[in-house]
Amino acid sequence: MVELELKRDRIVIRLGTRKWEWILEPRYWRNTLIWAAILVIFPAVSYFVSPGLINTMISANIYAAIAIPLALMTIGTGRMNFGPNFFIGVGGYTAALLSIAYGWGPLATLPFAILMSIVCALIFSPLVIVARGLYYVLLTLLLPLVFLEVTFIYTDTFKGDTGLFGIVPLINTGNAKINFLLLGYLSTAIMFAYLWIINKVLKSRYGLLMAAINDDEEVAHGIGININKIKIIAFISASTMIGIIGWFYAHYFSSFAGITYLPLTFMLKILLVLMIGGRAQVFGCVVGGYFVAFLEMILIRTMGPIQPLLFPIILLILLFILPEGLFGLYRKRRYREYMPTIHVRR
Amino acid sequence: MAPLLKVNNLVKRFGGIVAVNDVSFEIHKGETLGFIGPNGAGKSTVVNCLTGALLPTSGTVEMNGVDITHMKPYQRAHMGLARTYQIPRPFPELTALTSVLASSIAGKKRYNQSFQDAMYDATHYLEFVGLFSKRNILARDLTFYELRMLELARALATTPQLLFIDEVMAGLNPGEAKNAIKMIRKAKEEFGVTVFWIEHVMAVLMESADRIVAINYGAKLAEGTPDEVVNNDDVIEAYLGRGWREYA
Repeated sequence: MVELELKRDRIVIRLGTRKWEWILEPRYWRNTLIWAAILVIFPAVSYFVSPGLINTMISANIYAAIAIPLALMTIGTGRMNFGPNFFIGVGGYTAALLSIAYGWGPLATLPFAILMSIVCALIFSPLVIVARGLYYVLLTLLLPLVFLEVTFIYTDTFKGDTGLFGIVPLINTGNAKINFLLLGYLSTAIMFAYLWIINKVLKSRYGLLMAAINDDEEVAHGIGININKIKIIAFISASTMIGIIGWFYAHYFSSFAGITYLPLTFMLKILLVLMIGGRAQVFGCVVGGYFVAFLEMILIRTMGPIQPLLFPIILLILLFILPEGLFGLYRKRRYREYMPTIHVRR
Repeated sequence: MAPLLKVNNLVKRFGGIVAVNDVSFEIHKGETLGFIGPNGAGKSTVVNCLTGALLPTSGTVEMNGVDITHMKPYQRAHMGLARTYQIPRPFPELTALTSVLASSIAGKKRYNQSFQDAMYDATHYLEFVGLFSKRNILARDLTFYELRMLELARALATTPQLLFIDEVMAGLNPGEAKNAIKMIRKAKEEFGVTVFWIEHVMAVLMESADRIVAINYGAKLAEGTPDEVVNNDDVIEAYLGRGWREYA
């Protein structure tokens, strides 16, 4: 007779005199392996069942891969950046323009996309020192919108109204379905790489210093943390990671239009991924990314024309009833960690 | 012997208001310097100028002969200045242990200090102030007295030479206040820190301080041993008002 007992942090399974324990912690290594295995098997299964799901999965991975660096940026700078998509535009346009002008492939454009993101992040990094709270939110909110205007003003270069076409595709094997499968794996790999790197950073001493900055900047300065250095490094590294996603978008679709990524709607989706996943929890970003992408797909398929209305309403209701996010449901019971949550200051 | 901290003609103006007016004093190594004054005398402004939260309008601050007037707070912390706040300012989302851990990592530079080393340090300081059993509780859930102690642990974990204590008694009941005072004295003995102690309650400083500096309206009134300062007419006038002799 199998007996199951739910304890605070584990399930105990007893069969006769034998006993097994299963740790519930989602980040316990066995559980992490299970999650990862599911994500790895998923594209292969949907390749045979429903190839369209791979598309949704790529969106989910990319939402997560934007939200994870954004979580690092939010924690490391102690401010909420409302314009992460600006760097998607920077990375994407760099890759697109170079690829169209010189016919370069994705590997050739990647270093330039990274370089351009770093340069732009460096130019705008003083914002994290001079602006706080609402002013920072407004300034970062303006960045992508101004960039969008620029793409319309210099429409000869950026093709603001139609978008840029003819970018060399990321993977070209000749078979569209296999391309999709490989892109699915590539997006998963990018997402996992970001998750791994940023989780390592947040668990290290620098993560702790960032958590202190996130909680109280002045006190953090007073105990000897060089807050400006840490804030700028967090801002630049996270922005660069988001810029790489722009590069991915440009080569993935073989076209790039600022109007898709730079307006508020796209940015709101990313912020909702961040919040619904669990207020700047990196593991929550993955949950949030998959949740938002699949919810969007299901609504488009079932609801039809009222989808654009219903989608934000559902997300806002969730935001209201789950203030700590989906990951927060679990985290609520375990406070023994220093992963900080967001505070938007005055 | 050169003083640990030397303040020369410190002036701080906020617009037209002169909060600190030409204050000079010295802190010597190993002593406890009391700093008193009525409400709004400018005590906290002086501490803010010394720890770098505010930049003085004029005047200089020297530590061990090095001019630190224009240094940033984190540089001063690396040189060995630490402070506690009048109203505790914990890191609300960090646990008690990680708050102390952060300052152990960030404080005075200790080369080759690993995360684990810092953790042992932090545990020690937390145990010292008697919060070890609360190590995994979020700082926002601690009581007021525990927050005070957490602040002390956080300040000590930066391994300071000079510790600024801003009104440790405020908001504590007599029993807790007694413990807090005992703790500061113990810290001074065990860790060899020099203490700069701002306090409203004169009785505390009479017992603990080696010297006292009194200020009022931002200007220095008196300096000397506790007995000299409490018997100084200017100081009594600042606390009791003019004409106190008629009622004495």
